[in-house]
Amino acid sequence: MPKKLQAGRIELVYGALDMLVLRTLRWGPTHGHGIAKSIERMSEDALKVEHGSLYPALQRLLQERWITAEWGISENKQRAKYYRLTPPGRRKLVAETSRWERFVRAITGVLTPAKSGDGQ
Amino acid sequence: MSWRREFSKIQELFRRSELGADVEEEIRSHLKMEEQEHIESGMPREEAHYAAVRRFGNVTIARERSREMWGWNSAETLLQDLRFGLRQLRRNLGFTTVAVVTLALGIGATTAMFSVVNSVLLRPLPFKDPSRLVQLFETEASPGDFPLSGADYLDWQRQNRTLEATSLFSWSDSLSASGASEPESAAVVKTQANFFDVLGVRPSEGRAFAPGEDVAGKNQVAILSYGFWQRHFGGGADTIGKSVVLNNEKYTVVGVMPRWFNFRFATDIWIPVDMSPKELGPRGNHGWFAIARLKPGVTLGHARGELLAISERLEKQYTDSNNKVHAVLTPLKDTLTGNSKAQLLILLGAVTLMLLVACVNVANLQLARASTRHREMAIRGSLGAGRLRLVRQMLTESVLLALAGAALGIAGAWWCVRVLESVKTIPIPRANPVQIDGSVLLFAIAVSVLAGVLFGLAPALQTSESGMNEELKSGSQSVLSAARTRGVLRDALVVAEISITLALLVGAGLLLRSFAHLRNADIGINPRNVLTTFINLPDAKYTTLAARRQFFDQLLGRMGATPAVECAAVSTEIPLQGGSNGYIKVEGETDPALSSQLVGWNYITPDYFRALSIPVLKGRNFGPPDLDRAAMSAKKFFDLYKAAQGGPMKIPPDVSFVAVISQTTARTFWRNQNPVGRSFNWNDVKVTVVGVVGDVKEYGIREKTMPQAYFPLTLELAGSGYGYLTVKTLIPPEAVLGAIRSQVRALDPSLALFRPQTMEEVIAGDTRDASMQAFLLGAFALLALVLAAVGLYGVMSYLVTQRTREIGVRMALGAQQSNVLRLIMSQGTRLTLIGMLLGSLAALALTRSMSGLLYGVGPADPLTFASVAALLAIVAMAAYYIPARRATKVDPLLALRYE
Repeated sequence: MPKKLQAGRIELVYGALDMLVLRTLRWGPTHGHGIAKSIERMSEDALKVEHGSLYPALQRLLQERWITAEWGISENKQRAKYYRLTPPGRRKLVAETSRWERFVRAITGVLTPAKSGDGQ
Repeated sequence: MSWRREFSKIQELFRRSELGADVEEEIRSHLKMEEQEHIESGMPREEAHYAAVRRFGNVTIARERSREMWGWNSAETLLQDLRFGLRQLRRNLGFTTVAVVTLALGIGATTAMFSVVNSVLLRPLPFKDPSRLVQLFETEASPGDFPLSGADYLDWQRQNRTLEATSLFSWSDSLSASGASEPESAAVVKTQANFFDVLGVRPSEGRAFAPGEDVAGKNQVAILSYGFWQRHFGGGADTIGKSVVLNNEKYTVVGVMPRWFNFRFATDIWIPVDMSPKELGPRGNHGWFAIARLKPGVTLGHARGELLAISERLEKQYTDSNNKVHAVLTPLKDTLTGNSKAQLLILLGAVTLMLLVACVNVANLQLARASTRHREMAIRGSLGAGRLRLVRQMLTESVLLALAGAALGIAGAWWCVRVLESVKTIPIPRANPVQIDGSVLLFAIAVSVLAGVLFGLAPALQTSESGMNEELKSGSQSVLSAARTRGVLRDALVVAEISITLALLVGAGLLLRSFAHLRNADIGINPRNVLTTFINLPDAKYTTLAARRQFFDQLLGRMGATPAVECAAVSTEIPLQGGSNGYIKVEGETDPALSSQLVGWNYITPDYFRALSIPVLKGRNFGPPDLDRAAMSAKKFFDLYKAAQGGPMKIPPDVSFVAVISQTTARTFWRNQNPVGRSFNWNDVKVTVVGVVGDVKEYGIREKTMPQAYFPLTLELAGSGYGYLTVKTLIPPEAVLGAIRSQVRALDPSLALFRPQTMEEVIAGDTRDASMQAFLLGAFALLALVLAAVGLYGVMSYLVTQRTREIGVRMALGAQQSNVLRLIMSQGTRLTLIGMLLGSLAALALTRSMSGLLYGVGPADPLTFASVAALLAIVAMAAYYIPARRATKVDPLLALRYE
């Protein structure tokens, strides 16, 4: 049943989640739920993020000191932990983004001629 | 700044328990927000909750992974694993008990063995700077390391530049000690005054010998061993200054050695040697030992070179006495450890193999149990436990088991070592006491952790690896791929178990056969109903040859009158106990090999051959006239010797001796001619051969039979008054000992009998090493065999249980009981054959290292290999048969319904 529901969604490559989280935090601190929602929004629900998998990633980023965390109160008056991007986190995001772009270009380069070849 | 990072890390350490709660709360808050969102979009409250949880995924995994990210929970995980492991082990009490006992046997035996190896081989000698200590020997015309000549020693001591100090000491001598209590026989070693200083050992009470005390007149001082002090003086604090009487001479006790101290011989008392050249004897007399300490920075090779040069100068200077006599320096540790090194290492190797069998066994048990735990593992895996986590859990259990085994094993080893220490007859020269100290404990714990990982890793990996989901889904035993890999591993374990056990059994079998050969070896005597004891007459009381002769004549007369005594003799040596030796010259013989052929001496009274059943092959035995003539010649010879004072002696023609020689002597020196009536030269005295007797092993059963010559005892009595009393009895000799003792007391109440023992005990003493080796290795091998049998039985039972359904089907389709039996047995037989093949190869490689311990069998003895293989095959088949038999009893209907 869950498989059907999530049809059309893309499984995340390892490490990509880290990048998405950092990217999300560029617009300011937010809590775990907010991060999950904005990833879904940004990818127009194409990316499958099991919310649970977010938390280990957050801990990893905390440990790398790319983000910091502190407790706060959410919009609907709930205690929630807010994550904030640190300067090293920002640098990491830049580096990762360009790396990702190179990766995507490379993959696209490999795939495109194959497609045109099909057409002939 | 880095200190800041460090600081925050430390802060984190303190916040760790908060962190756990943190993630928990965070996730709760997340779920609430999500739920809220769903509600706001119009979903019913309950449905919203489930939607939120679904969207979130596995909460436990998320929490666990988040925590694991911090690594902070490794300590907690460990605790959890431990708690869980303990619970598991408690729940499977049967399994736990078997595993712990198995491991305890392996670890305990290994630890005990290692504690011996540690104290004998690994730990430095308990002396000051022991690496600089060496022992000095001399070579002789006959090759080998021999005791020193005292005169040579004095030259070495004077001339060397590489030794910081040297110290002379003597053989252990048995003297009658009296003073504080009943006369008892004491082992006394004479040493140079600096002996204890060279070793760097202080007496625990009183003082060591003072410089200058090794001179006649000042040397009436004694240092006691701790044991003698306790035994003879009751360990009294006022013992220093008291006197102890040794063979009627009074010595003042100046010190007591520490309890652990023991050097070369089991010694009761040390007294200073009189270092005068007269006391040290002529240059050709090799009767002393010496230790030395190298100067700092001097290598052994350097010192060897220097002393060799000195001894070569002496060889040129004293051509008569020093032909081929050279200095030999050996590290003291090597001489004290001796040949026990090989035997200890082999035993340690054997015990390690046994530990391996124990490990394999427990691995097998684990594997069998693992298959029943598959579902448990699968469930835990699906609940969020990573593979590493599961492996760790399994390993934790294994190590727990191993540690429990180690605790039990160390307790056992501790007990063993206590027994070893209390049995003072173990043939290991120990300077260090055998004990379980820090390094042994460390070893035991390292071994057990290693063992735990060793027997736990394979099953752990296996269990966690097999497809969890399938396992969970199927819930039955028909997960084929997992079962197959498990099967390969199990087969490998069975093969390993069989091959290691076979190798151990071969080793034990070889030693056992050697031991049997040693015990049945012909030493040239009949030991039945023979009692021997050593008597040493005090020089101070028995000053003349006549007095000594009278004592022994009276003693033998009294023995002859004692009921149940068949005959009695006195001799200076008895078989297997070694003895003195030298060189003889046969008139006109030029073969250089014969001039360097050592010949052993023994001075005897005529009934010696009869008492020990040594056959007279040619000529005749001594008679009373021979004794009288020998006594006369001896007196003259001794007077001349004293008059010459070490100078050249002119021997008048009326001084001549007679001798009985052994067959080997006759063959070696007279080849095929009849030696009776011929003569040889011995210390410039003409000796006539009157008879030839059978060969006797004088130096040990393993030793080559050496030429031997017997002289009338009265010759020796000119110089000193000691000898073994050998009594042949009509009834078991122990029963006559009391009578013998009272006869000696009646003659001289101050005399002590030294170590009375039967000839059979003497032989047992010579084979004690071999019997201990055979016993220990046999015990290890037997334990391994039992373990292997239990292990094979367990594996086979498990296999049968697993195949119950298959067997049921086969039987339902018409298979006979015999078919089923063959099916099960053939599986085991194949593994057993592979194991035995591998084991034989391993044994062939391993037993070569023990050829030094073998006697009468080669390391590849086919009989041993065959019989051991047969034994193992029978045991293995029996272990398979019981479960196979059970398989034939399977009720097809029940088996089919089972799933």
